[in-house]
Amino acid sequence: MTVSRYMALNKRLISGEALTFSQGPGKWLHQTTQDEDRPLYYPKIGIYTGKGASHSWLWFADIFERLGFYDLAFLTENDLAQDALDRLDVLAMSGGDTFAIAEALGPKGARKLEDFITAGGLYLGSCAGAYLPLYSSKEHLNHFNFVAAKITNLTKTLPEAHSMKEKFCTCYGCSFIYHPVREEIEVTTSGLPPFGTSMTLTAPLYGGPPMTVTDPETILATYTNFTNKTLFLVDRELAEKTLFGNAAIIRGKMGQGHLHLFGPHFEHPHYLEANLFLANAMMWDLPVQPSPSTDLDDEMESRVGSEKKTFIRNLKRELSNSRIVAAGLEMSPLKWTIGNKVYEAGKIRVFLEAIWQRLRSFEKMTPVLVRPGQDGLLVQTALHITENIRKIKRGWDRQADTLEPARALFGFLNRTSALFLEIYFRSKRFHYSRENCIGTLSWSN
Amino acid sequence: MEYLASDKIAIVDLGSRDITEEELEEDLVLDKIGGAGITKHLYDQYASAQSNDNGPIVLGTGLLTGTLVPGSSLGIMTAKSPSTGKVSHVPLHLDAGIELKYSGFDYIVIKGKAEKPVYLWIHDGIVDINDADELWGKDTWTATDDIRSEMGDDLIQVLGIGRAGENGSDLAQVGINYWQSADRMGFGKLFGEKNLKLIAIRGMGLLEISEPEDFIEDCAELITTIRSNSLMDMQGIAATAAALGEEDFRDWIGPLTHRHMACFNTPVATSTFIFTDEDPALLKESTVPEPGFLLTDIFPLITFKKAGLSAKETGAVLKACAKYGIDGAAVAELSAKSGLTSPEDIEKALPDLKGPVECAGSSVFSAWAAVGKETDENWERRQAVAYVMGIHPIWLQMAPDLTEEKLLDLAGLGTELELPQETLDEVIADILV
Repeated sequence: MTVSRYMALNKRLISGEALTFSQGPGKWLHQTTQDEDRPLYYPKIGIYTGKGASHSWLWFADIFERLGFYDLAFLTENDLAQDALDRLDVLAMSGGDTFAIAEALGPKGARKLEDFITAGGLYLGSCAGAYLPLYSSKEHLNHFNFVAAKITNLTKTLPEAHSMKEKFCTCYGCSFIYHPVREEIEVTTSGLPPFGTSMTLTAPLYGGPPMTVTDPETILATYTNFTNKTLFLVDRELAEKTLFGNAAIIRGKMGQGHLHLFGPHFEHPHYLEANLFLANAMMWDLPVQPSPSTDLDDEMESRVGSEKKTFIRNLKRELSNSRIVAAGLEMSPLKWTIGNKVYEAGKIRVFLEAIWQRLRSFEKMTPVLVRPGQDGLLVQTALHITENIRKIKRGWDRQADTLEPARALFGFLNRTSALFLEIYFRSKRFHYSRENCIGTLSWSN
Repeated sequence: MEYLASDKIAIVDLGSRDITEEELEEDLVLDKIGGAGITKHLYDQYASAQSNDNGPIVLGTGLLTGTLVPGSSLGIMTAKSPSTGKVSHVPLHLDAGIELKYSGFDYIVIKGKAEKPVYLWIHDGIVDINDADELWGKDTWTATDDIRSEMGDDLIQVLGIGRAGENGSDLAQVGINYWQSADRMGFGKLFGEKNLKLIAIRGMGLLEISEPEDFIEDCAELITTIRSNSLMDMQGIAATAAALGEEDFRDWIGPLTHRHMACFNTPVATSTFIFTDEDPALLKESTVPEPGFLLTDIFPLITFKKAGLSAKETGAVLKACAKYGIDGAAVAELSAKSGLTSPEDIEKALPDLKGPVECAGSSVFSAWAAVGKETDENWERRQAVAYVMGIHPIWLQMAPDLTEEKLLDLAGLGTELELPQETLDEVIADILV
């Protein structure tokens, strides 16, 4: 199973070709099921980038792009509270701070999410996104009691942390959620239809849950082993007890829809097999009916010629200014606790590179499609990144507190990345559709 | 130009503040190879269109700059020398060449005169012309600190002038960061005439190599061969002086020596840091704000030593020269001629020093790298090869294993272009006209 197969499949799907699951992932998985003729279509995928989301939402963007899924929307808590989910087939909720995500979405966001899934939508939760819909009585989290699974890394007596103490645990009322290991871990898939035969995969674990459920049919994979890249935060024995045999991925059902909850980051771009598993699972559990089309509307404006050149140059200028400072800061021990998450200086460039690495192909897109004012706004938020990262550098040189500019910086990094990727994928989808001679995108200039 | 290049030439008009970009055409590389071959070509191209000033200043890098080829540290600055009147080439050493190579531009042509003081910020394929009102009048050290603080990075390479350049001295030097550069050509005056206080450069770009495995293998072999060269034992500026017959130089500078410094990827360290106001035996970061000075140029040291200055006094004078932005070699020569022997008197005289200086040499290449010139009739040709390929010019004098044939082979492997010896001969002939 290769990336090129997915690219080819998506090319056919975006061109409107009628295909079934058995002609796509089902064929590669050699899996026959009674539902093998369920229709496939090019899904509209939302990625949550709002409050509480860490940089790992960028990984979803990376792997979806690599596999040829370009119909991506980048959503904040406000978008979710309105009607953004009505236009999606899939919502990907990345890692981050579960409490902050729950608080940001609030009861209104929870109801919208519940309605989305119940109506057939697919929820992909990774790490914090996997904790979010689990049963909980805690404030904010209690609005998201969608899946009856328990976590096995909850304790009233905290074990001793051997390393990374700042990332080792999170308070959970009178208890603690602790993280026995970090980095790479081995999981074994259950081989339940339609996900092929049982196989062993690796993926990184950065605080995601080990889970237990009453229905074994809902377990897609269990934690089975460590690798030589596993970093132990507690005694190995306790780590084994906490993880091994417990669910690493579960597939919940709610109404007509599904929730795929991943403890490890199966969306991490360095783990291709895990990425493909996630994509296969997603394609299997797409809503029966696709959500309404999100054709490019009349409000869209094109940027071509000198206008486009100036826009990209201004953006590039600020990204370069920021990258240069960020590279220098990576040699410092700077880290900041924002909410319940610890951010190291190295995280800054993860956001910047997500834009920078795409600039070359972005420059080649003509036209670039923006909503009115979006290009100016993007340059403006990029400028704020430069301002704040330079403030941090000057503060660090003076040994001053840098928490405030860091808080602002990560906010701007998130907003800038999301805004850029929105424009980038919209333009890319337009070109991709045009290259494949289809009429589903009607925008013209 | 796909390989070993960013494929971009920037044309900066300081008068109109327009910046245009051109592609680096493969045909130009096939014709002129690179480095001084192309900076000279661009100088000729843009000088003819100008009449009101001394012509453009062209920055560039060699074809092999920034690669694994030993000594691949060199950038090149080409302009008409106020000292010699010739279109001349100054090597950009330390880390200036490598930053330029990775800045997103292969060549930068700076033409015209700014209405008021400006500086250029060159980074990742962007050239910004920024106002330098607050920098004008400041010494090179303060200006370097200010620009690095403003931009938030301590690795930014600064090619800048001090008061000497601002005031139009023929001896004005374009310094590299805090230190004396190899500018014996008075290019600092050209910066001043253009109201250009400094050029700040930082690049985080990448270079692609056409045949990476073969290229790396060849470089590794070359490094192995070079390691057996006895000249590899020559580390630091005192070793260079000893090679020039200054045997007692070590005793003079040795007690102040803190460390030696090599330019990017250069096997021999040609610079030495002395502590003039701190214990040279210190093995941790000094808390003294200005503990000493990086000695980058052998010739003023020899001249000041002969004039009877102590190493500490010489360090202090050269620091003052660097801050003022004046060529230390010229200062040493003129102060010796004037009989100035006290550091205080020399420093006081800096604004008034004038006159032709022999240290500028007669070549189109900076005499900064004239180590062994007297005994090597091929000196000028080896300099030309260094400036075309982007190899440290002092190092190339010392490394017979870096033959023209070998360098052309490596350039071919790196670029996928066929670059015959005849082309190199023609390029060198053109540069030496």
